[in-house]
Amino acid sequence: MKKIIFLIITFLFICTNTLEAHKVNAYAYREGDKVAGECYFVDGSPCKNSIVAVYDSKGRRLLQTTTDEKGKFTFETQETGDLKIVISAGEGHRAEYRLEALEKSEKRETKKEIAVKESDKKQTPQINRDEIKQIIDEVMDAKFQEIRNEILDLKKQMDKTNIRDIIGGIGYIFGVWGLIMLIKRRKNAS
Amino acid sequence: MHISEGVLSAPVLLAGAVLSLIGLTLGLRKIKNEDIPKVAVLSSAFFVASLIHIPIGPASAHLVLNGLVGMLLGWSAFPAIFVGLVLQALLFQFGGLTTLGVNTFAMSMPAVISYYIFRKMLKKSKNIAFIGGALGGTSAVLLGTLFISMALIETEKSFFAVALTLFTMHLPIAFTEGIVTGFVVLYLKKLKPEALG
Repeated sequence: MKKIIFLIITFLFICTNTLEAHKVNAYAYREGDKVAGECYFVDGSPCKNSIVAVYDSKGRRLLQTTTDEKGKFTFETQETGDLKIVISAGEGHRAEYRLEALEKSEKRETKKEIAVKESDKKQTPQINRDEIKQIIDEVMDAKFQEIRNEILDLKKQMDKTNIRDIIGGIGYIFGVWGLIMLIKRRKNAS
Repeated sequence: MHISEGVLSAPVLLAGAVLSLIGLTLGLRKIKNEDIPKVAVLSSAFFVASLIHIPIGPASAHLVLNGLVGMLLGWSAFPAIFVGLVLQALLFQFGGLTTLGVNTFAMSMPAVISYYIFRKMLKKSKNIAFIGGALGGTSAVLLGTLFISMALIETEKSFFAVALTLFTMHLPIAFTEGIVTGFVVLYLKKLKPEALG
């Protein structure tokens, strides 16, 4: 029996090199009024054509959209409060992502804008303020895109199953059954 | 084969929990003390099997091994699978704690059914034992998809569409699993025939 047990477990371990399962993960970020996001399975493969539903903090359904072939989705919303994005990939697979409220960061931005305005006035502005803002936005967006991609990659890696968890899990299982055995034995003895 | 949290409605969750509880108490009562190591091994085999992913078609599917667990353990498959599922939910967020009942029942009941149907075949000659193991492994997975789609009736509305996609999606897995189970049975027959008894 020991041999068999050992063989089964080693066989399973060899196979787990490609370990994955179909837990669904989601990730989303804001870009002004637009919200963009991505949804993927644990192994990093995208959730194609899945339904994306957006709720506000009170649980009201705001809108609904679907993911594209790469598992990406975008939508526009005026809602600045907390958003709950629920993605259902069918057959009981589902992911949730909470997007935090915008208000705080927006307030900061407006303060900065006022400061910019004052300095602009002193230096006799040659370029329109809106144009500057547009240029800054474009540059920042390009720079943030890289960071966003990195965050997404990191998140994907973190969501992958990890060999330590598997070994730990097996340990826990044996522990639980050991405990059950102990309890049963005590019952029999008494 | 795991239903995530927040998909099912409360009555379905409750029904699953109650049914699983019945199975669990039955299973725990039937375990003899000397069988517990076997249960623990199969419990962990089930736990790891769900991580073995086989890429087929649009979605990903994984081994379940509930047929093997069922045929070797009978009603004790309930606690074995339950412990495996709890750890999967805690460590990998497969399924979820609220859906534990439904998931346990959907995977353990087919295991018990295949125990009653195919166990006798395992005791016979090698060829019959292999076929019995293969059939048990395959049918347990397919029955599991049926239970899962039953649980999803309320949320997905079109029962037949869901059942059909789940069923076809799991066909290749079911066959692979049948073959794996068949070989494990053969191996056990050679080395440890009393495990099949």
